[in-house]
Amino acid sequence: MSLLIQSIVLGLLLGGLYALLAAGLTLYFGVMRVVMIAHSAFLILAAYLAWFFSTETGLDPLLSLLVTVPLFFLIGVGMQRLLISRLRPATMTMMSVLLTFAIALTIEGLLGYVFTGTQRRVRLSYGGGDFEVFGANIAVVKLIAFGLAAVSLLVLYLVLTRTRFGQALRATIQHPEAARLVGINTDRIAGYGFGIGLATAAVGGTALSLDSTIYPSLHWHWIGPLMAIIVVGGLGSIPGAAIAAMVLGLGQSLLQIPLGTTWAQTFFYLALFATLMVRPQGFFGGRLAQRF
Amino acid sequence: MKVTTRLRISTLALAGSLAMTGCISSGGNEGGSDDTITIGISLPLTGDFSEPGKGVERGYEAWAQYVNDNGGLLGKQVELKILDDQSNADRVASDYEKLINQDGVDLVFGPFSTRLVVPAAQVAQDYGFLFVEPAGAAPEVFEQGFDNLFYAAPAVADDHYDHLADYIEAMPADQRPKTAAYATMDDPFAQGTAYGLKDRLEEMGVRTVADEVYPPNTTDFSSIAAKVADTNADIMVGGTQYQDAVNLIIALQQLNYQPKMAAFSTAPTNPEFPEAIGAKTEGILSPTGYTPDADWPSNVEFVEFYTELHGNPPGEDEANAWTTGQVVAAAVEAAECADPSEECQQELIDWLHGNQVDTVVGPLSWDEAGRPQSAHMIQQYVDGKIRIVLPEEQAEAEIIPVKPAW
Repeated sequence: MSLLIQSIVLGLLLGGLYALLAAGLTLYFGVMRVVMIAHSAFLILAAYLAWFFSTETGLDPLLSLLVTVPLFFLIGVGMQRLLISRLRPATMTMMSVLLTFAIALTIEGLLGYVFTGTQRRVRLSYGGGDFEVFGANIAVVKLIAFGLAAVSLLVLYLVLTRTRFGQALRATIQHPEAARLVGINTDRIAGYGFGIGLATAAVGGTALSLDSTIYPSLHWHWIGPLMAIIVVGGLGSIPGAAIAAMVLGLGQSLLQIPLGTTWAQTFFYLALFATLMVRPQGFFGGRLAQRF
Repeated sequence: MKVTTRLRISTLALAGSLAMTGCISSGGNEGGSDDTITIGISLPLTGDFSEPGKGVERGYEAWAQYVNDNGGLLGKQVELKILDDQSNADRVASDYEKLINQDGVDLVFGPFSTRLVVPAAQVAQDYGFLFVEPAGAAPEVFEQGFDNLFYAAPAVADDHYDHLADYIEAMPADQRPKTAAYATMDDPFAQGTAYGLKDRLEEMGVRTVADEVYPPNTTDFSSIAAKVADTNADIMVGGTQYQDAVNLIIALQQLNYQPKMAAFSTAPTNPEFPEAIGAKTEGILSPTGYTPDADWPSNVEFVEFYTELHGNPPGEDEANAWTTGQVVAAAVEAAECADPSEECQQELIDWLHGNQVDTVVGPLSWDEAGRPQSAHMIQQYVDGKIRIVLPEEQAEAEIIPVKPAW
C-alpha cells in the first residue's frame, strides 16, 4: 500500500517535470510547425549553466534562472529570425528536423569541449532531503522542480490567454494569413514565440539539474519521451502536453511496480503508437491544436 | 618490331600496376615506419561511456609517454592512434577494421566496456591480432571462443565481490543480512558484478527481496528506489556504472531508506563520486581492482609518473589502461617483435598464454579464455575517504560492518 502511494506521489512529481520539459516543444510546433530536436539539448545546456553557476559562485542553482531565462529567450528569437525563418514554409517541418538535429549535435559537442565528458551533479545541501506525507516520502528537490513547472506553465498559460501578445501568438498559430490581415506582424510574433519556448527550456533544464547527473549526451535520452508526450497531448497544445505528461509520468511510475523499468519505459512509445492509430491529432489538442 | 614495342609497353604497364599495388599495400603501413610502433585504439570519448573512456585514454597516453621517455619499446618510439567510437558498438567494430586495414597499425589495445569489447575483439580475432583489453569483465566476453583476448585486470565481473561475500559468510549467522535488494543496469559488466554477489548470498540463505534491472538510458531512478525502499532490505547491491549509481543513491536517500550495507560497483571509486553525493558517502562499499597505494614495484613508478603528469593520482580506469600497455609490452619484449604479421601476433598471444606478467595491479596470468586469475579488493568510505577494507592483509582501514545513516 505504501509503495502504491509512494509511486503515485513520485509519478505526479515526475509528470510535472515532464510537463515543463515538453511545454516548449509543443509551442514551437504550434507556432511554426517546427520539430525542435535540439530542445532537450538546450535543456542540458541550461542544466550545465546552472551547475557551472552554482559551483563557481556557491549560490543556489535556481538563481541562475535570472540570467538563463532572458538569455535563452534572446537565443530563441535569434534562432528563429536567423535560421528557422530561412527554411521554406512548404518543407518547414521536415527541414527543421535536420536543422535542429545539427544544432543539438553542436550543443552536445560544445558542452563536451568546454566542460569535458565528466558527469556532473549540482551538490545541494537539500539534495537528499525529504519529508513524509501520508506515508510517502517527498523529496525536496523534486517538489521544487514541480513548483517550478507549475509556476512556469501557469505563467505561460496566462500570457497566452490574457495578454495582447498572447492573442497575437494564438492568432498566428490558428491562421497566419488572417493574423497578418488584422495587422499582426506574424514574423516578429513567431520569433517571440520561439524565444518563449526556449525560455521554458532554461527553466526546465535548471529544474532537471537539481535532481540528476548531467553529461553532454544526456539529451538523447530525453528527446524521445518528450516527443511522445507532445504527440499524445496534441501538437501545439500546452494544456494537452501538461495533461499527457502527468498521465504518462504517473503511468510510468505505476507500471514500474509490476513490470520493471525496461517495460515501464516502453509505455511512452505504446501510448505514442496508440495515439497515432486512434487519434493522430492527439487527445487534448484539437485539430492542429487551435485550443489553449 | 611492332610486337615487341607492344609487348614492352604492356610489360611496363604490368610492372607499373604491380608497383602501384605495392605502393598501396605498403602505403597502408605508413603509420608504422621503422622507428615507431603504432598502436591502434578505439575509445568511447563521447556518449554514454565517455567518463571512463577518457580515463582509459589518459592511462594509455601516460603509458605511451612513459615508455617513450624510457627508450621506447624494442628501441622504437610508441605512437598511439586513438579513434572515438561514440560508445557505439557498430562504430567500434568499423574503427578496429579501419585501424588494422587502412592505417596498418602494428598492435591494438582494447576499448572500454564489455559491450564494446566483444565486437572489437571479434575484429581483432578475424585478423589474428593480439587483443589485450582494459575493461571487458563480463562473463560473455570469455564465452565467445576468443583465443586472442586477455583481460588486463585482476578479476572478471562475477568475482568482483568475492571478498565481500567471504566476509559476510564469516559473520555469525545472526548478524548476517537476512534480505538483499539488487538494482542493476542492463549491461553485462554491471550486472555481472551484482549477480556474482547475488549467487553467493543466495547460497548463504540471504533472501532476494528485490531484483530490478534498468536500461542504460534510464533517467528517472525514483521508482526503482521506491521499490527497493519498500522491501527495506538489509543489504543493497547496485550493479552500476556511474551516473546511475549516483542518481539511485540520491533517490534512495530521498526515500529515507537505510540499509545496513550498501555496495555499488564502479561509481564510488570515481573521484567525482564524493563531490556528487556530498557528505553522505560513509560506509558505501565498492569493489576495485586497483589502488594507487599498492606497493607493486611498477605501481610506485606509475603513480609517481602519472601524478607528475596530471596533478592527481590515477584511478582504476587509468590503471587498467596502463596495465594493458604493460601486458602487451611484456609480450612484445619477450617475442621481440611488434608488427601486424600473423606470425608475430601469434607469438605474442602464445607467450601471454604461458606466462605471468608483473603489473601495477599485481602479477597477472590468464586461463585459456583470457580470464585473469586474481581477485578484486573491496573498498569502503571510511571517515570520508575511500579505503581498502578487504581482504584483511591489504586493508588500509577497518571495515564498518553497519553502514551509518545516509
